[in-house]
This record gives sequence, C-alpha cells and structure tokens, in this order.
Amino acid sequence: MGSEREDLEIEMETLVSSSQSAKKTPTVEIPDNASLSNVAKSWIFSRILERLWKSIKVVIFTAKINMLLPFGPMSIILHYLSKNHGLVFFFSLIGITPLAERLGYATEQLAFYTGPTVGGLLNATFGNATEMIIAIYALKNGMIRVVQQSLLGSILSNMLLVLGCAFFCGGMVHSKKDQVFNKAAAVVNSGLLLMAVMGLTFPAVLHFTHSEVQYGKSEVSLSRFSSCVMLVAYASYLVFQLKSHHNLYNPIDEEERQNEDDSDVVELPELGQWEAISWLAVLTIWVSVLSEYLVNAIEGASDSLNLPVAFISVILLPIVGNAAEHASAIMFAMKDKLDITLGVAIGSSTQISMFVIPFCVVVGWIMGKHMDLNFQLFETATLFITVLVVAFMLQEGTANYFKGLMLILCYLIVAASFFVHVDPADSNV
Amino acid sequence: MGSVNGRSDNEFEDESLVSPDTLARKSLGLDRGQHGTLSDAEQDFSVKYLKSQLFRSIKVVLFTAKINILMPCGPVAILINYLTANHAWVFFLSMLGIIPLAERLGFATEQLAFFTGPTVGGLLNATFGNATELIISIFALKSGMIRVVQQSLLGSILSNMLLVLGCAFFSGGIIFIKKEQVFNKAAAVVNSGLLLMAVMGLLFPAVLHYTHTEVQYGKSELALSRFSSCIMLVAYAAYLFFQLKNKNTHDPVHEGGSQHEGSLVDEEVAEISQWEAFIWLAILTACISVLSEYLVDALQGASVAWRIPVPFISVILLPIVGNAAEHASAIIFAMKDKLDISLGVAIGSSTQISMLGIPFCVVIGWIMGQPMDLNFQLFETATLFITVLVVAFMLQDGSSNYFKGLMLILCYLIVAASFYVHVDPASVEDKSPQG
Repeated sequence: MGSEREDLEIEMETLVSSSQSAKKTPTVEIPDNASLSNVAKSWIFSRILERLWKSIKVVIFTAKINMLLPFGPMSIILHYLSKNHGLVFFFSLIGITPLAERLGYATEQLAFYTGPTVGGLLNATFGNATEMIIAIYALKNGMIRVVQQSLLGSILSNMLLVLGCAFFCGGMVHSKKDQVFNKAAAVVNSGLLLMAVMGLTFPAVLHFTHSEVQYGKSEVSLSRFSSCVMLVAYASYLVFQLKSHHNLYNPIDEEERQNEDDSDVVELPELGQWEAISWLAVLTIWVSVLSEYLVNAIEGASDSLNLPVAFISVILLPIVGNAAEHASAIMFAMKDKLDITLGVAIGSSTQISMFVIPFCVVVGWIMGKHMDLNFQLFETATLFITVLVVAFMLQEGTANYFKGLMLILCYLIVAASFFVHVDPADSNV
Repeated sequence: MGSVNGRSDNEFEDESLVSPDTLARKSLGLDRGQHGTLSDAEQDFSVKYLKSQLFRSIKVVLFTAKINILMPCGPVAILINYLTANHAWVFFLSMLGIIPLAERLGFATEQLAFFTGPTVGGLLNATFGNATELIISIFALKSGMIRVVQQSLLGSILSNMLLVLGCAFFSGGIIFIKKEQVFNKAAAVVNSGLLLMAVMGLLFPAVLHYTHTEVQYGKSELALSRFSSCIMLVAYAAYLFFQLKNKNTHDPVHEGGSQHEGSLVDEEVAEISQWEAFIWLAILTACISVLSEYLVDALQGASVAWRIPVPFISVILLPIVGNAAEHASAIIFAMKDKLDISLGVAIGSSTQISMLGIPFCVVIGWIMGQPMDLNFQLFETATLFITVLVVAFMLQDGSSNYFKGLMLILCYLIVAASFYVHVDPASVEDKSPQG
C-alpha cells in the first residue's frame, strides 16, 4: 500500500544522503558543494514534475468520461462572451459530470490509505459532495426552492432512475433468472430512508394543515430543530454502520472487501496519499467554480429553453451529481453484485435525506437564509409516495428487468409531472 | 397441454359423426345414381348437421350454467325501456342481464384459449378478462360521463382488492377453520408491488392538480394524464411479455392458472370448437354492448329514482356487474384451498384495470375528444392509494384466515358507506345529457 511512498522516501533518502555525504566533505571541494546541491535541487524538481505528470495522467487521462472535461472551461468562456444562459447551463452541466466522477475516484483512492472506518466516512461525506456544493451556491443566491428541489430530485433519481436502470440492465444481462440481493440490508436501509423522509415531511404537513402557531416562522424553527436532530441521527447511523453493527452489512462489506482485496492484489492504489488529498482539493475547487456558473445560469436557461425551473432543478441537476453513481450501479448490477448497487442507490438517498438536506438547512441558518424543510405539497407527496413504493418493492429480495422497467417508467411519469409543474404564486422562488 | 387432446377429441367426434353419414351418402349414391337428389340429400344433411351443432352449442353455452337464469332480464330490460320511462327498473334489470353475459364471455374466452395455445391464450384472458368493465366505460365515455368512468374503474379495483379478496379469504377460512390457509408469499408480494407502482403512476395527475401547481390549470393534468397513460400501456405490454415469457418458471399463480386449465381439460375437454368459441365471443360482446348502452343511459334516472348518489352507483354497483363472475370463481377456488388462484384472479384483475383498463379509457377518450384524465379527485385517489397500500401490506405474511377476510369485507363496507354520502363538487360533476 505505501510501497510507492516508501520507494519515494528511499529515493529521497538516497538523494539526501548523497547530498549529505557531499556536504560532509565541504573543506575538500567548496565550489562542488554548491553545484551538487543545485544538481540535487533540479533532480528533486524534475522528480516532482515527473510525479505530477504521472499523477495527472492517471487521474485525468485514463478515464474515458474525461473527454467531457473541456466543457467546463468552455462554459466559463461562453459566460463571459455571450449571454446565452442555456448553453452556459448545459456546458457547465456536462463539465461537472467528469469532475464529480473523478472526485469519487480520488475519494476511493484516499480511502485505501485511511482504513475502512475513515474511508467509509470519507465516502459518506464526499459521495454527495457535488450536490452539496451546488446546493450551497444556490443557497448563497437565495434560490431556496432550487435547493429543495434539486436535493429532492436527487433522492427521486437515486431511487427510481438509478435503481431502475441497474435492475433493467442486470435483468437483461442475466435474463434467465431473477437476481437476488440481501433482503435484510435492503429492508433496513429502506426503513431508515422512510424514517428520514418522515422526519422531513413534518414541517410541510404542519404548513399545509394550516395549523402552525406562527405562520411562516414556525416551520423554519421546526425545520432547523429537525435538521439538528437529523444530523445527530446521521452521526449515529455512521457509528452504527461502521462500528457496532458491522456484521449486519456483511454481504455488502464482504463484497467490498473482496473487491478491495482484488484491487489490492490486482491494482495498487494508483495515487499516493498526499496526491489523493491534493487532487481531492483541486477537484472540489473546480466543481465549486463550475457550480457557481451553473447556478447563475439556471434562471436564464429556464427562460431560453422554455423549461420550468422545477423541471431543471428536479430532473436535470441531479443527473450531474448522480452520473458517476449511476454508471457504477449499472456496472455492478451487470456483474450480478446487486448488493453493491443497492448500497450505492439507497445509501446515497439515505445520505442525502439524513445528511445533506439537514446540512443545507443549517448552512442556510448560518447564512441567514430562510431555508426550511417545507418542500411544498406536491414535492413532499411525491417523495413520500416514491419512497414508500420503492421500499415496499425492495422487500422481496429479487430483481428482474421488468421491475427495473417499471421503476424507469415511474420516473418518466414523475419527470413529466414536474414538466407541467410550477410553484404557486405565493411561495418564494 | 390438453388443448391438443381436446381438439383431437372434438375432431374425432366430428369424424365419427361424419363417417356413417358419408357411408350413407355413398350407399344413397349407389342406390339412386341421380345427381340432383344426392345434392339435396347432402344439403338437407348439412343443414341438419349445422342445426344440431348450433343446438348443441347453444345448449353448452347457454343452458349449462345456472347463472344463465338471469339471462331473460336483458331482453326484459330493453322492453321496459321502450314501454315505460322507469329508469330504475331498466337499470336494475340490465345490470342483472349483463351478469350472466359477462360470465359466459369469460367462459368463451377460456374455451378459445384452449385452441390458441398458452401465449395468445394468456393475452386473450388478459384483455377480455375485464371486457365488461371496458365496454361499460366506453359507453359512459361516449355519453360524456367522465366521472362515472373514473369511478367505475376505481370501484372495480376497490371491489377486487377488498370485496372479492375478503369474500374469498372469509369463505375459505370458514371451510378450513382448523388451519390457516397459505398462499405463495413471493408471488403475492410481486403482484402487489406491481399494483402499487401502477397506482402510483396513476396518482400524479391528481396530486399535481390538488397541490395547485400545474402550469396551465386544467390543461396540464390532461396532457400529463395522456402521457402517463401511454407509458402505462407500454408498461402493460412489457408486463404481458414478461409474464408470458416466464410462464413456465414463474410463480405458482400462473402454474395454478394452467393447473386450473389443466384440471378443466382433464375433467372436460374444450366444450366448443374454435370457431364456435370465436363466434360466441363476438355475439356475447355485442349483447353486452347493447345492454351496457341501456345501462349507462338509465344511470342518472336510477340515481334519482332510488335517491342514491351517482358516485355510489358508479363505484359500488357497476363493478359488481363486471366482477360477478370473477367473484364467484375466486370464492370457489378459496374453498378448494387453492388460494393462489384466488389471489391471482383478484390482484391480477386489479393490476389489469390499473395498467390496461384505465389508461386505455384515457386514450379512447383522447380519440373521442372527451377530456378524460387521470385526475380521480382527491377522495377517490386517497381511497385508492390507502386501500392498495394496506392490502399490499396485509398480503405480505402469506397466510389467510376468516378474520382477515372479514376485516377486508368490513373495510369495503366502510368505503361503500363513504361513497354513499359522497357527492362530487358541482364544478366536477358530470352534466348528464339525458335525465
């Protein structure tokens, strides 16, 4: 694991020792000392360059999705050159997708070095980093509905589209039999998701039964309180998952460990630890930059493309954040490792509902924005129905292509409803 | 399957019928040697043969089933429609008249399914299984009674899930009072999961409307409904494809179905021939259509005469007509401890209506230019979703007893009672073309 690092250190040591041994004989050759340290410095410098080049090659040039990378800078250029918000929006959308995927990759690589616990934590946090970053920018602009809808759309897309595509592709590949997955884990996860969604719906229910104490203020306070509670719940969820009930997730963990073992045996982690951290930072910064342009272009894109803002937030934005998970879920389903697929899809939904949404409420609180959990009736009803139906459907423990098709078709219907959906005039956009 | 046996037996019978006659013909020919009298004899004979076939066919189809006592109610209803203006009687009698026709339609479909092989047979059963409800709905659509259509289809689903299932569980439970009857949990869960997803697909236009969040008030739900219906029809096609492909390896519900057909064949061969079945199918469909027209026309009048709200008639009374036959067969199978088949009938029928019947009506309404949409109004939508959810959960443990059946029936009574005191808001009510 750290062998490359050790190699590097050994090389460094030899470099240093050679320069030290050079220094040990200063009295003999003074001018040689200076030139030798220069040589040493340039040697180190070229070594670093070489490492940098290798790193860039590994991170940027090996994944095919990175063909989309140039779209990012192009969208920035477009933003300054023309006023075509639609194009800027689309280009930044396409540009963020590979960055999100590379972010996931860098997180995985870092997880090799940090051990399973912190690695799981890392995956849990950075897994939805893209959505979080987009949401924070939207919050900064005061586009609270966009935040709510994009996070909601992320959950819907995970539960219906990602799961549906995975079941469908897996079912088509393995069309002779029904694929099976660990029922117990799926049930536990969907139960958790249902509870999280329940926690999210109470402010909306309160508002829409017109029974709050102080109209407008109560939901915000209730939302903030609920969010803190949900964050505590999320922390204990992590502890539960990673520490005490490790064995409940055994099939998933074993699979993952097997995968990691395979990849340890077959491929070593491709980046060094510090490289992974620095790439993580670089990619996050890139994603942030592009997200800013993305969010700024939303309204304009909605006008020029003639799409409701709701449709853009619920359907288009989550595609960006989820693209990488989508692809990996399908891949694992085709390899008949449905447990991992389920873990990705449902785990991501649970993370968003238990961590990202409350986190955004708290960030909004800090920023002084009125972000609350009142997702408006239609969105709340949609979320609740979807989670209920999918949770029910997962209980059986088998999957086939027809179930996947049904999920995808349900997603189409949901997308269509958002296409003809506008917010009532009195709610803020 | 037994269809081959059935067919060969039938043909054998036919051959045995024909052979002595051909001998007779030949002997006649030998005796007479005159062309004219021979063809007369032949024609005479063929007519007699056809008549006997016809008579036999009528006997099998019309006179063997006890439910056909109700058949005269049909023509009587038509008579009364022209003699008096008493809509209540017309409605009641046409209801009674359609019931045996619906049952015979199911019979004819089954018989035809013997000849067409499992795939097309399954398709036939799937389509004609709810033909009665569809025909009634189409007539109601033609009259512009969109709420009636929505409510009758909704009521059909409710009746299947609560009443039919409840009666089946109850009767089965009473007979087998010592033990809990079991059914294939997996199949029930899969089927109820499908039904739940189908219902979910149907819900969105209503939810959109009731959160007042559509782009163009009134037009958006219609557009969304039409789009969703097309998607649901695609889903139904995929469902049929999937079911028929996995027919051999799939759930015992279908094995039960083919067992049922198998046992039918073991005990009785296909009772009528292929063309007979086809012709009867056409005749029965025509009769049902005729009666449905009178039924739908008399609806409003009956509602006024009996002082019952139209929603009650649409949701509770109309589905009884379409479901009577399935109801009876579900109970029979439950009493024979073949609960899988009962479940298949009940849930399968509900799924068919939600995935085929309702979207099909929306598309027909689109073609006819009627604004039929999936916005079932808040009360009906909520009722549907709650019912499907609760029943789906209840089926999960895979066992049944008379108490569960009783609970389902009582829930149905409560739902029926709520529709008794339910009227549509004036803005939504169908304005009937004739009183």
